[in-house]
Amino acid sequence: MATVVFRPAGKRVEVPPGTLLSDAARMAGVEVLMPCGGQGRCGRCAVVVESGSVRRRSTQRLTPDDIAAGYALACQTLVESDVVVLVPPQERIERRIKETKRAAKIELPFPYDRHDQPLRKFAVTLEPPSLADQTDDWSRLQREMARRYGIRDLQASLPLLRKLPRALREGDWTVTAVVELDSWDRPEGPPRLIDVLPGERLESLWAVAIDIGTTSNVVWLVDLIRGQVMAQAADYNGQIARGEDVISRIIYASKGNGLQELQELVMGTLNRLIAQVAAEQNIRPDEIYKATVAGNTTMIHLFAGIPPESIRLMPFIPVVNHLPTFPAREVGLGIHPEGTVDCLPGIASYVGADITAGVLSSGLCDSNELTLFIDVGTNGEMVLGDCTWLISCACSAGPAFEGAGVVHGMRATAGAIEEVWIHPETYEAAYKVIGDERPRGICGSGLISLLAEMFITGVVDKSGNINLDLPTKRVRRGEHGPEYVVAWADETATGRDIVITAVDIDNLMRAKAAIYAGFSVLARSVGLTLQDVQRVLIGGAFGQYINVEKAIQIGMLPDMPYDRFHFLGNTSVRGAYYALVSREMRRRVTEVGRMMTYLELSADNTFFDEFNAALFLPHTDLSQFPSVAALMER
Amino acid sequence: MPVEIPVEKWPGRVVEETIGATAAEGGTRSRVVKVGGENTLPFMFTDGEMPNPPRVAIEILDRRPKDWSPLLLEAWGDVVDDPAKWAKAAEEAGADLVLLQLSLTRDGDKPTTAADARAITRAVLQATGLPILVFGPGQVDADNELLVAVAEEAAGERIVLGICEEKNYRTIVAAALANGHLVNGRTAMDVNLAKQLNILIADMGLPLDRIIMDPTTASLGYGIEYGYSVMERLRLAALQGDRMTQLPMLVTPGFEAWRQKEAKVGEGVPASWGDWRQRAVLWETLTATNLILAGADIVVLRHPETVKRVKAYIDRMMAK
Repeated sequence: MATVVFRPAGKRVEVPPGTLLSDAARMAGVEVLMPCGGQGRCGRCAVVVESGSVRRRSTQRLTPDDIAAGYALACQTLVESDVVVLVPPQERIERRIKETKRAAKIELPFPYDRHDQPLRKFAVTLEPPSLADQTDDWSRLQREMARRYGIRDLQASLPLLRKLPRALREGDWTVTAVVELDSWDRPEGPPRLIDVLPGERLESLWAVAIDIGTTSNVVWLVDLIRGQVMAQAADYNGQIARGEDVISRIIYASKGNGLQELQELVMGTLNRLIAQVAAEQNIRPDEIYKATVAGNTTMIHLFAGIPPESIRLMPFIPVVNHLPTFPAREVGLGIHPEGTVDCLPGIASYVGADITAGVLSSGLCDSNELTLFIDVGTNGEMVLGDCTWLISCACSAGPAFEGAGVVHGMRATAGAIEEVWIHPETYEAAYKVIGDERPRGICGSGLISLLAEMFITGVVDKSGNINLDLPTKRVRRGEHGPEYVVAWADETATGRDIVITAVDIDNLMRAKAAIYAGFSVLARSVGLTLQDVQRVLIGGAFGQYINVEKAIQIGMLPDMPYDRFHFLGNTSVRGAYYALVSREMRRRVTEVGRMMTYLELSADNTFFDEFNAALFLPHTDLSQFPSVAALMER
Repeated sequence: MPVEIPVEKWPGRVVEETIGATAAEGGTRSRVVKVGGENTLPFMFTDGEMPNPPRVAIEILDRRPKDWSPLLLEAWGDVVDDPAKWAKAAEEAGADLVLLQLSLTRDGDKPTTAADARAITRAVLQATGLPILVFGPGQVDADNELLVAVAEEAAGERIVLGICEEKNYRTIVAAALANGHLVNGRTAMDVNLAKQLNILIADMGLPLDRIIMDPTTASLGYGIEYGYSVMERLRLAALQGDRMTQLPMLVTPGFEAWRQKEAKVGEGVPASWGDWRQRAVLWETLTATNLILAGADIVVLRHPETVKRVKAYIDRMMAK
């Protein structure tokens, strides 16, 4: 017999070697939660083996570091000798699991050269005017810029000339000129004076990288002297109140003052975010002289105030894929009014600048390995290729994963159920809530997790039909047909049962089927299979919270080893940042735009077939999901 | 010069299924009917074998049809008022199988009850020695209630219960499992949807040799090409070894053809369409023979003259 001691409770029990730690715990009267029913799937029963010898049958959800630290899954670990086990508090485990899904940090993968930038600051000291030298202020500055820095034909706007005399005299004829030497669409110049500041002010030079998502907007404040991101802010796009997805926004924009209103709404959100990052660095927003913007094609159109109607109508043509550079004042962006705005190039109506930015920042366009890049947002955009070729498509996944179109769906904020486990025998649900609050709803990752658990435990069949014959009160006939209760009213923040209905499941099934069908069509269009893919890069704010295992179980992501999946967080704003700080990156992103082939799925007759094939759990062709098939065998 | 005919060898084979049970097998049928079993495309005897010819089922209703063409009512006469007599007439008309279609309501528009369904099924089984298929009215609750009763009443007879659909199959499959019957599943003209329903039914534990699939078809002139193509693709998948598509196919050319005006009505159509009686029967016959060429193992027909012609066609095609 072996003695097992459980800390901190201090309880001990004698068991034969080969006993599961979870059984030993039960015998000792120590509670270890096993939401998945002891199948080693949820990782919530992790304990620390402090001394003694054990054998781990499975270490799923534990990292090598965890194992080195002694962590073991109680339901999968056998006692081999006398052992001392620490049962950690539950919340610690949750945080640890979440750590592993964190998005990558903001680092530049290339050296930053602050001298090779189109936007520069130059300090100049002018000869004060005298009766002997009656050259006007502007010519005097131009002359000195040419003499000192070789900058000829400097241009200035009228508002700037109005500012000039005061700056010169306040700085006692020493000023700092903020000059844009060239721009994306005018590589040969002429140089343009954007601002003139009294005195020498070379310590920093501010710019912003912006991502305009249909749901969230992100602003990164960048110091072009250092090349670094100094502050970040994000918020929901103010346009959401006028439509959850791009199509409803386009429709709204086509009515009355809709376009202007939507433009003002997104500008309101961006300007608030700009003010926020500026305040964080103790600067004024008008000290920001440049903005690089990424976003889907509709968002870019609305940002620039360009009518987006044609995006929605056959044959789905945008007004412009790559906008010319324009000054901030023309759209009301709250940086310096003369500051320039560059929008990254898009490919097509439904593969926009957010995707070229993603391809750039994810390194897909430099990869020697066959790579699949996915941006899971309201629309599912995907790109397949490597450094020599790229092909993209977009499928309308619908807003289900963003929490819309689902009765108790919500965005991934505090109170959202983000992960669910269902017990395979009792059909009881356990869940994890963002922010450790009482649950208010279920977010996208929670829905994926929930559907996977319902499928694996047989609460739904492979078509997603809820089995009403199960011996549990959690399945029932509700207002919207059959439903499953995830959380009872007395557990929730709303005081109502949180359920998933048959209609919700249909929406989720269609969303996941559209995404997988997109992958299949994309691969097939170039004569490859998904099994040929060596890396899967997942971008998008929602993407970083997807549990790959569950997403594979429902057949949303291709079945391949987990280490081929990489989460990159918001790749769009990152791409905007790269393009902001590097000429080479701007050249690359333009090239990406040119080399990427766009596959219009509505013109592809294989999509519907692939969609129907994917409208099953995990897929009609089970041979594409060997790991899920193996799980079902068990 | 001798011509060498290229031979296609397929790795897959359609499951052979037995409908009906004789006294020796625990039923009361005078004979059983086998369907499926082929390892080739229809009638390609150089490539493989087709152990069973396509079978003809005649559709009868449990009450006088309300919306059938007058030509059909004329052809059957008074038997349409009595399902037992109709079943006997169907047997005499040359049917291999009798398909009893239950209605939602009885005479006087009272809902059909489980007891009604039992009595009708019993009467039909007594009137004919042919194996039978019984389809519910096509409304979820009624189907489940009536078909469970039918399955119990016909226990041991190895009948075919229908129609299973993706949103409603559990109860029907459970009834078939409990009483030794087969089921028929119908999906909307799509290869994947057909396969999915087969998987769902098989997942409940019903062996594949007790599942028949109806991939849904259309009449001549109303999209038959699409249905044909789906059936052909299903059959090619089956022959290539995809297990979940290796099931016999049942299609309903009688229903499809007789709801189109070319067959249904004789008035208000162009004179150039010619003789109505001939046209109507030809419409049903051509729809059926086309679907047989697409791989149908059971065709459900309505007009006795069509039955005669389709059976003659099958005989000629089966002659080697």
